[in-house]
Amino acid sequence: MDVCTSSSTPQTETFPSAPAPGPPSLWRKRLLEDRVQLPRFWPVIHNLVSQELRVRYQRSVLGFFWTLLNPLLMMAILSWVFSVLFRGIANYPVYLFAGLVPWSFLSGSVNECALCIIANEALIRKIFVPKLVFPLARILINLVTLLLSMGSLFLLLWPLGARPSLPMILLPAAILLFVAFTLGLSLIVATANTFYRDCGHLVTVFFQAWYFATPILYRAEDFPAATQWRFRLNPAYYFIELFHDLVYFGKWPQFSSWLLAIVIALASLGIGYAIFKSQEDKMVFRL
Amino acid sequence: MPYSSRKKTRWYSDCESHGPGSRNRASSAVPLIELRDVSLRFINYADKQYSFKRAVLDLVLRRASPVPVSEFWALRNINLRINHGERVGIVGGNGAGKSTLLRLLARIYPPSSGTVEVRGNVAPLIEMGAGFNIELSGFDNILYNGAMLGFTRPQMLSKVEGIHEFTGLREFADLPLKYYSSGMYMRLAFAIATEIDPEILIIDEALGVGDAAFQERAKDRIFKLLGRSHAVILVSHDMNSLRQLCTRGLWLRQGQLVADGPIEPIIDQYLAWTHAAKAS
Repeated sequence: MDVCTSSSTPQTETFPSAPAPGPPSLWRKRLLEDRVQLPRFWPVIHNLVSQELRVRYQRSVLGFFWTLLNPLLMMAILSWVFSVLFRGIANYPVYLFAGLVPWSFLSGSVNECALCIIANEALIRKIFVPKLVFPLARILINLVTLLLSMGSLFLLLWPLGARPSLPMILLPAAILLFVAFTLGLSLIVATANTFYRDCGHLVTVFFQAWYFATPILYRAEDFPAATQWRFRLNPAYYFIELFHDLVYFGKWPQFSSWLLAIVIALASLGIGYAIFKSQEDKMVFRL
Repeated sequence: MPYSSRKKTRWYSDCESHGPGSRNRASSAVPLIELRDVSLRFINYADKQYSFKRAVLDLVLRRASPVPVSEFWALRNINLRINHGERVGIVGGNGAGKSTLLRLLARIYPPSSGTVEVRGNVAPLIEMGAGFNIELSGFDNILYNGAMLGFTRPQMLSKVEGIHEFTGLREFADLPLKYYSSGMYMRLAFAIATEIDPEILIIDEALGVGDAAFQERAKDRIFKLLGRSHAVILVSHDMNSLRQLCTRGLWLRQGQLVADGPIEPIIDQYLAWTHAAKAS
């Protein structure tokens, strides 16, 4: 009968020294694990996304129309109010559209991701799911909204001067980079908000300020050349400029803009991933 | 064995092996579950929703920082190996750490120290409604829950028949889960967890629900699983079903493994201990 008591168990006092596997191998392990786990849990992501979209679009025939109505009214009001202020911008509604739709993807994703871990508490405490699933699902839901509203608003803006152009074939690349940037920010905010519950409020206020600091309603060129450099401190500026170039101006963005966007997107994604993964295990204790 | 080279925290080593081939390969001497010196600590934060505002104020005013007011060791120095084909029953009073141990095996909680190695996929029946969505229909939930357990849509579609067969809920397959009774719910959860043919089945008191006929069939099904060299870990306060189902017993008391051995003596010891505690 191997009836044992805990005192008779072999005391391996080695485990304080063990937790130094070296950061590279730890991160390689995490990346490898995600490469296995995320495809495995893809159906879960798919389900979270499709269910949300179904609730939004299927219950009512006008479902999709309602989600379009909001940005449409917003843009109508904004272009009515600000076209007086910014007379210099031709086809102002189109300009507004080119910057505002990507921006609402960014702020919508980050604000929703702030709550995504807490909102799925019931699931996380009951069954093992890689927690990366939840921010990814939120991002995908917002991405679908972005693509749908981009397409349909573009058609609606046809009478106001929206015209397709050849550089628009690069739009998927710009969206991809922007998604990477957004995902990185979302992961940071999701982690922070799980540990400090009031971060969500802070993020809302911060995004309001950031919105006005980014050339969406106005053009950066309208500011004195001496103060132009301030825009360059704003990481969102580069992405919004890409969208302006592609959608509004219909011109090929400069190579340097692409390069900067790639660097910022990768940096954001890398930092976000590192922060999220390093805290992932502790999250369940903070729900 | 050179365990010192192992990582501090390690869960699944090969979680992607579902195939029958990989199971046969694995069914040698390697234990399915191996816990070495596992401890789990819960920290009670004074204010669980510690806010950023307070963190900043604490920093600025140089107040005592986020002091964890108290900590609680839910599990202490657990050493455990579970092999293929073992049916393990866990006994212990309330708050002894039984459910926490199951959650640790199901990968919900990470260990605070020690290593947890679980080889093979785990089907956890720990809490009602884990991995279900009450808005979806019964059929959709089979696919959804299957996805949670790591199975693709085609894989699950091939199992739907068997699940319906066992639950007898075929006519309710299109009904949203929120209209299911708790018994129906539990039957569905149990059927999915066993139909996916997991290497490790974890059940927490789930057998209590459901009528007598279902309980009998559930026990049959567990025995069938064991015929294919799976491990079953069961937590229950129903000593009779533990005696019936399990071969090995674990007794947990205040987060420590007090006894480990064949089920009968463990239950007798445990019952004797409870009576003694009641008498004194």
